[in-house]
Amino acid sequence: MVKAAVKKNGRKSKAARFTKSFLLRLGFYFLLCALSFIFLYPFITMIVKSLMTDDDLYNITVKWLPSQATWSNYDIAFRRMRFKAYVWNNVIVCGLSTLGHVISCSLTGYAFARYKFRLKNALFMLVILMMIVPVQVIIFPLYKQYSDWGWLNSFLPLIVPTFFAMGLNGGFFIFLFRQFFMGLPYEMEEAARVDGCGPIRTYARIMLPMAQAPLLVCGVLSLVWHWNDYFEPGVYINNPDYRMLPSVLPNLYSLLNQENHTMIQVNDLEGIVFNEAMLMAATFLCIIPIMIAYLILQRRFMEGVERSGLTGM
Amino acid sequence: MTVKNPGLSRKPRRMGIDRKRSLEAYIFLIPWLIGVCLFFAYPIFVSIRLSFSKIVSFKGLITEWVGLTNFEYIFFYDINFMPTFLQVVYDTLLNTPLCMVFSLVIAILINRKMVGRGFFRTAFFIPVLLGSGYIMKQLLGMGVDGTTITTGIMVPKLISDLIGPSITAVVQGFLDRITVVLWKSGVQIVLFLAGLQGISGSLYEAAKVDGATEWEMFWKITLPMITPIILMNMVYTIVAFFTDGTNPMVDYIKKVNFTNQQYEYGAAMSWVYFVFALILCLMCILLMRRHVYDSGAKN
Repeated sequence: MVKAAVKKNGRKSKAARFTKSFLLRLGFYFLLCALSFIFLYPFITMIVKSLMTDDDLYNITVKWLPSQATWSNYDIAFRRMRFKAYVWNNVIVCGLSTLGHVISCSLTGYAFARYKFRLKNALFMLVILMMIVPVQVIIFPLYKQYSDWGWLNSFLPLIVPTFFAMGLNGGFFIFLFRQFFMGLPYEMEEAARVDGCGPIRTYARIMLPMAQAPLLVCGVLSLVWHWNDYFEPGVYINNPDYRMLPSVLPNLYSLLNQENHTMIQVNDLEGIVFNEAMLMAATFLCIIPIMIAYLILQRRFMEGVERSGLTGM
Repeated sequence: MTVKNPGLSRKPRRMGIDRKRSLEAYIFLIPWLIGVCLFFAYPIFVSIRLSFSKIVSFKGLITEWVGLTNFEYIFFYDINFMPTFLQVVYDTLLNTPLCMVFSLVIAILINRKMVGRGFFRTAFFIPVLLGSGYIMKQLLGMGVDGTTITTGIMVPKLISDLIGPSITAVVQGFLDRITVVLWKSGVQIVLFLAGLQGISGSLYEAAKVDGATEWEMFWKITLPMITPIILMNMVYTIVAFFTDGTNPMVDYIKKVNFTNQQYEYGAAMSWVYFVFALILCLMCILLMRRHVYDSGAKN
């Protein structure tokens, strides 16, 4: 059968073959562009809407390009959501909890990958369980616990668990590091041990520098997930001074819905009606910092993904 | 370490090599073990106890055992639980396979060498940046979905005249679902990419020499080699859909817990909900186990 195919191909002229491969390639790019359009759609809508004026918003003929772009929406959104104050909360919490995940999950993953010890399988089942049990199941006991410790209305419940390899998707990161360390050759550690290098130094000086790929993947994913998380911060934090950016958004959205429902347009101090465009601007402002961070790390992140050695569980 | 047998005190520091290694492992595990006890095992214990009891006093959380009352209430009295729960189950059962297929296809597409590789890879990760959380929820709620594919393809008007409104509605619903699924498959695509990169190129070269087509290579090499990732992705996807911010059940649990303050009931409900997710995951693992490729790297 294969032979027949080769023969058939051979008989075709060079030009025909070229056209065929060209068409295939064209179709391939068309498919990719269509798919990436779907992926970018919410993002594009958000940006376009955020630039619209009040008139454009209610004009059905204006779907994509606003008749005139206004930047004032961003200005209003910026002040309305107290961006400057909250963005630092986000940066502090996300930075510290990402650091926590990177340190603690790599340690744990290393132990599971490279050591034999009693109860290993039972403990690893616990890691799998960590991946499967959603935080919603234990949210009340956690809430109660933190409130007993006096941790509510602070960043502690969000940051401290990550230093103990718990927190948002901790199990997933442990798993990631375990997979990576399992793929490394044992000779490295043996050589270090023969030379009298202690286990912790072996880990810090030899294994960790080799683990740049999963460190980066863990770091980026942890950063992005923490940045966007609003369930846990929403539960633990009520004090407006300690809010995180994504937890400000629900308030803004409810403000908009309220105004739409009652049709009473409540002007605030500045005499501005809060509209959808401003909301979109606020939403976009929320993700700008994390987007910049991702765009900077993007290339190395993808390289890290490729080298994280996830095959061969 | 105390020396148990003084007669052997010639070598007091000698431990069995296995025990020593075991001890080293536990040094590495200390932070995680503390974390699991404080932030995972104990809350789970409290939560299970709560679901079988009634809170008598909040101070010190004194509870009274009431048996299965909370669960009875869930299944026989609560009119909100079952419809929401079934909706979520239905969505998960449909979305998970769709998500797997699409993310695998996309991962294979962008794994090739081509122009604009960096752009496409960023594009497919953008929904993850937009968040699994509130932002996506609102964009969906504002009717952003649905228009996406239909404006892209532009056939429904013509075809809907031909096949009638009922079938059009089904097709439309399906397209909407795909859009939503695609937006939520960023992480899965990344994981599949990692898996595809892990397959040794020499396998493909050997197959090519033997005259295999790309189609054959996909079924005989790619798919068997990434079965571990498929399994991991499936579990991840099920859990992600179950805990997603757009999920009505999550909202309901949060409402019962923190707005209605029925903590016992909330705990019972979340356990029913979780046990179902667990059953789904276990089913996946059991079904896939026979087919998962084992590289022999396990030790």
